[in-house]
Amino acid sequence: MIEALFNQPNYLAAKKTLDAVALRQEAINNNLANLETPGYKRVDLAPNFEQELEKASASNDVQQLSSLTPTLAVDTTAKASSKDGNTVHLEQELMHMNQNAMTHSLETELVSNMLAKMRLAITGK
Amino acid sequence: MIQILTGIQNTSAALDAERTRLDVISQNIANAHTTHDVDGKPYQRRVVVFETALQNAMTSDATSGNLPAIQVAKIGRDTRPPLQVYDPGNSEADAKGMVSMPNVNMHEEMADLISASRTFEANLAVVKNARSMAMQTLSIGKH
Repeated sequence: MIEALFNQPNYLAAKKTLDAVALRQEAINNNLANLETPGYKRVDLAPNFEQELEKASASNDVQQLSSLTPTLAVDTTAKASSKDGNTVHLEQELMHMNQNAMTHSLETELVSNMLAKMRLAITGK
Repeated sequence: MIQILTGIQNTSAALDAERTRLDVISQNIANAHTTHDVDGKPYQRRVVVFETALQNAMTSDATSGNLPAIQVAKIGRDTRPPLQVYDPGNSEADAKGMVSMPNVNMHEEMADLISASRTFEANLAVVKNARSMAMQTLSIGKH
């Protein structure tokens, strides 16, 4: 019964985005760690996650939302910048990292506010 | 064990590897005029070879721990021939007055040095970022 409190589509979507952001941070960490490794191909979130999240949150489908799991995949669109076949670009990667950090702030703020609202509704203060 | 800063092992492995690279560059610069290495020949420029422990394996279901970590595979030698410098006064000079000097190119080393320290800085930025994200995550619900 209490589950229903935490199963609102918005809350679930924010939670899933946080999961994705944490995973993406790991991918970016790894890309930057392998900046100088010959033949390394950069990894990122699998592109289908974002589409599915969008679809699920547009239709307010709780089942579909809670079954979403972000995964990582090799970024096949990235081009090698030098002859060693490494597809990581320092500036782009740092930009992705900052973008990811901002998304993370937004989502944590969002989740915190939702929880605060719920607390307000329960306690009245 | 609980992982608060996920994927930070790979970052520290990279910091380690870049530190090795910086050490090797400083060794190269320090030995730019060494005509007698341990083997009696002119010093040969050293190069760091990086590799990943697990090259892009299983990334489709990657969770922390199975992303490839970087490591130093070996410290090799640059096999380019030594530079021949005319210096008849040098005790190492041959009959024509030529001395075999190390194949260290100062410009190349400086460029390498910058690239290594930039990579080092990028990885430090990752640590800082991961830390501030973790702090934010820990403050969820505190309002």
